[in-house]
Amino acid sequence: MNCFTNDNMKIKNTNIENEFYLSQWIEGNLADTELKKLVSEDDFLAYKKLKKGIEVFCDLEQPLDTSFERILHRMDKKTKIRKLHLKWIASIAAMLLFFMGFYALINNNSVLNKSSFGEQKTIALLDNSKVILNAKSALNYSKKGWKNKREVFLNGEAFFQVEKGSTFTVKTKNGNITVLGTQFNVKSTDTFFEVICYEGKVRVVHNNKEYILNPTNSFRKINKNPIESLNYSRKKPTWTLGESTYRSVPLKYVIEDLEKQFNIQINSAKINNSSIYTGSFNHHKMDLAFKSVFDAMGLKYNKTASNIYILDN
Amino acid sequence: MDNDLKNICKPKNFKFIFKTYAKDLKRFLYFKFNDLETAEDVMQDAFIKLWKNCDRVSFETAKSYLFTVGNNLFINIKKHEQVIRKNKYRHTKNTTNESPEFLLIEKEFLTKIENAIADLSPKQREVFLLSRIEKKKYREIAILLDISVKAVEKRMHGALLKMRKITDLNS
Repeated sequence: MNCFTNDNMKIKNTNIENEFYLSQWIEGNLADTELKKLVSEDDFLAYKKLKKGIEVFCDLEQPLDTSFERILHRMDKKTKIRKLHLKWIASIAAMLLFFMGFYALINNNSVLNKSSFGEQKTIALLDNSKVILNAKSALNYSKKGWKNKREVFLNGEAFFQVEKGSTFTVKTKNGNITVLGTQFNVKSTDTFFEVICYEGKVRVVHNNKEYILNPTNSFRKINKNPIESLNYSRKKPTWTLGESTYRSVPLKYVIEDLEKQFNIQINSAKINNSSIYTGSFNHHKMDLAFKSVFDAMGLKYNKTASNIYILDN
Repeated sequence: MDNDLKNICKPKNFKFIFKTYAKDLKRFLYFKFNDLETAEDVMQDAFIKLWKNCDRVSFETAKSYLFTVGNNLFINIKKHEQVIRKNKYRHTKNTTNESPEFLLIEKEFLTKIENAIADLSPKQREVFLLSRIEKKKYREIAILLDISVKAVEKRMHGALLKMRKITDLNS
């Protein structure tokens, strides 16, 4: 069938053939059923396959910029989901730890002692040993088998008065201290580790090396500095009497302790907090404490909020 | 420093690898799956996997890595769909004038199409590419080439008539 069309004639429905019907059909303006009427069956199938082949050809020829964007988007989504999962896992882990701690507490086997800001806490252990915790410190031990193995975990600072008996071990992040019956002070925070022996004999294990301390001896490791050994002639650490003493300690650690004693925040960004400080500060009077630390170092301080201070030169 | 240049974890290098191999990979995958959407998805999957392992794949072996990953994904998906595909194939055999989704486009056929396009007259090819690849309407092409719509249609019709010859369904 062959019909002529006029340029002026509009194409109504599909009854009027278009001379260039293939161009209409490939655009989708002519139905398959109509094309079937215009060509042989073989031709129809051929055109069908050709149309599909052209579709594939064109798709494979397309620039892939949108594909790349999509890939970036999917990678980003995966990271977001992974981060979300991590947050989930972290919070679940935190919850688990909390419950474990709680459960342990209820079980009465594990004991946790914590001191808060500016607080000193005295703890009596099962064997009559005595521990005094300085501010913001934590002591943890298990009641089970205490007689045979006396072991505690410490973070922060504590003064120990250990009854003579089996080996008594203090475990900290920075190393372990073992004694048989003595009095000693341990201070262990992130990068500050100091053990002072006041009585008896103390064995410190740090980085797989062993150090024996006699009375007045001490072991100190601050951050990456070499190990120091100072002599302390007192009978007891001064902080147990309300005064913190420092000998050649980087200011940053004194600042940390001020924060723990007075429950404040001190911003030291503008100053050099690794300058060495020797001196002491009072636990109970903050302005006095500030005077003895900051005035001595030639520093000024400004109060910006109820408990925030900024240091300046 | 030389290592730096070849590190796929650098976005610049990753993008370069994409621009170099994405098209070929998609094409490769199309002939495996015979489906454009799946080929696109799996191609993306392969690149995402490359990015995840960017510190373990060297610049030189990126291409074979991509194609291996793509192939493995194909094998896994195929196993999963084996039964369904068998049914599809049987269906096509019995009913040749049924829906064309089941018509397989072979590699050779695609090559024939490419050759046929190259054999078109320049005027026909121009209209053909503008319409099919650039997705322009005949009206737009007419304005672009400064000819009548009818002239555009005539060229497209002629192109398709010519290309019809490459199809031979007497297998």
